Amino acid sequence: MFGYVRPSPAHLTEEDQRRFGGAYCGLCRVLGERYGQAARFILNYDFTFLAILLWPCREEEETLRRGCIAHPLGKRDYYPGNRALELAADESVILAWWQLRDALSDPGGGKGKYRAASLALGSAYRRASQRRPDFDRITRERLAMLRELEEARCPSLDRPADAFAGLLAAAAEGVEDPVKRRVLEQLLYHLGRWVYLVDAADDLEKDFASGSYNPLICRFSLERGELTEEARESLVVSLDHSIRLMAAAYELWDFGAWSPIIRAVVYEGLFHVGRAVLEGTFQAGGISFRAAGRNKEQL
Amino acid sequence: MTDPYEVLNVSSAATDEEVKKAYRDLARKYHPDNYHDNPLADLAQEKMKEINAAYDAIQKERSGRGTSSGGYAQQSYGGYQYQQREAGSPAFLQVRMAINRNDLGMAEQLLDRMDDHNGEWNFLKGTICYRRGWVDEARRYYQTACQMEPGSAEYRQALNFVENSGAGYRPEGYETFSTGCGGDNVCGRLACFYLMCNLCGCGGMRFFWC
Repeated sequence: MFGYVRPSPAHLTEEDQRRFGGAYCGLCRVLGERYGQAARFILNYDFTFLAILLWPCREEEETLRRGCIAHPLGKRDYYPGNRALELAADESVILAWWQLRDALSDPGGGKGKYRAASLALGSAYRRASQRRPDFDRITRERLAMLRELEEARCPSLDRPADAFAGLLAAAAEGVEDPVKRRVLEQLLYHLGRWVYLVDAADDLEKDFASGSYNPLICRFSLERGELTEEARESLVVSLDHSIRLMAAAYELWDFGAWSPIIRAVVYEGLFHVGRAVLEGTFQAGGISFRAAGRNKEQL
Repeated sequence: MTDPYEVLNVSSAATDEEVKKAYRDLARKYHPDNYHDNPLADLAQEKMKEINAAYDAIQKERSGRGTSSGGYAQQSYGGYQYQQREAGSPAFLQVRMAINRNDLGMAEQLLDRMDDHNGEWNFLKGTICYRRGWVDEARRYYQTACQMEPGSAEYRQALNFVENSGAGYRPEGYETFSTGCGGDNVCGRLACFYLMCNLCGCGGMRFFWC
């Protein structure tokens, strides 16, 4: 996961922002508690969003306030650990680990940072895979499927996106309520598709230069490291429609106090991020809800 | 029975106009047009039933005459029945039945055994892709179907549905957005949004990507 999922701030109240920040900091803390300080570097918005979607219906809603190792100035609100944060933490460790392994097995140089990260994450992964053996198995299967499609230079957008999307949809398996589980499977499936395709667009230039597999190059027979007008139009249809299906699924479950945040993701935030990626203006890590918290303190 | 006002998310002191507006908004949200060939269509249909029943109950209570609201409610509810496919040619009847049962594997097997890849074949292949969430391939099959049989309203409707995501429901306060630039003035408004963002650079705006 890559940190593309962001709610559009224009529709969030200060309370919503505080909640989102609380989930983000809560996930960071749970990662630290369960897997040691080094594991906290894998934290991103996508997994915060996953935790919000999985949030149990009647969970303790009070945030706590404590100092933060990454932000020594001032204290931060965070939600204490709950099942959703623990699940999101475990799954992010598993996914981050297998993505690192995947990056390492890719031919080509420049793997120093992956090796270092892989070393730091090794013991965390072993613990996470014991806690979530099913998710670990599905992740391995799905990433192997993806690898196969990549090696075959699959000219379909949907097939490799499906391999990744199915992985994310599996995160809903532990949800007890059958309606919520169905809603989340759909929502997460299309979120996975969207993330995979946006990431492919984001990496297009780099992949073209290095000769790496990129589904967009194969699907649209691109002769340069950028999308043609026609390819762009097709990709936009796919991205827009997957977002629409996410929104349609979202409306079928009551997410309580998290609703405004999810709404701001599926009705606007994802469109903004997708557009920024297609226009080449997306900056990973350039946006921060923690910065929002900081602003608030300054004001 | 659930409180009908709770279902429509309005207070029992709401005016008739407010009740109607709340009902319309919910009915637009769960309208069958938004759940066309969607694996969750049954859940949306349930919602629609609840909303219609709640609106009818309020209407009855308020009019004191026991008449039903009719109109939108009846029409919407009927819409879900429409998802049962129209009868195509007999050769594809089994495929359509398998799709309606959501037995996509069987539907695909049946199609793969056929040699004549005509408009309907492409349309049904597209429908299977769509139900799986494979939007790009669904669109390509629908396009082929429309090229082969330009007169078919069914194929055209399916293609339009995939291509015009902006036509779907949006909550109040949310405009129609597209990842690309649409034909309307969305881009202009966005440019304005970015500009404001950069200018003020404060509070709520700042934490997005400016």
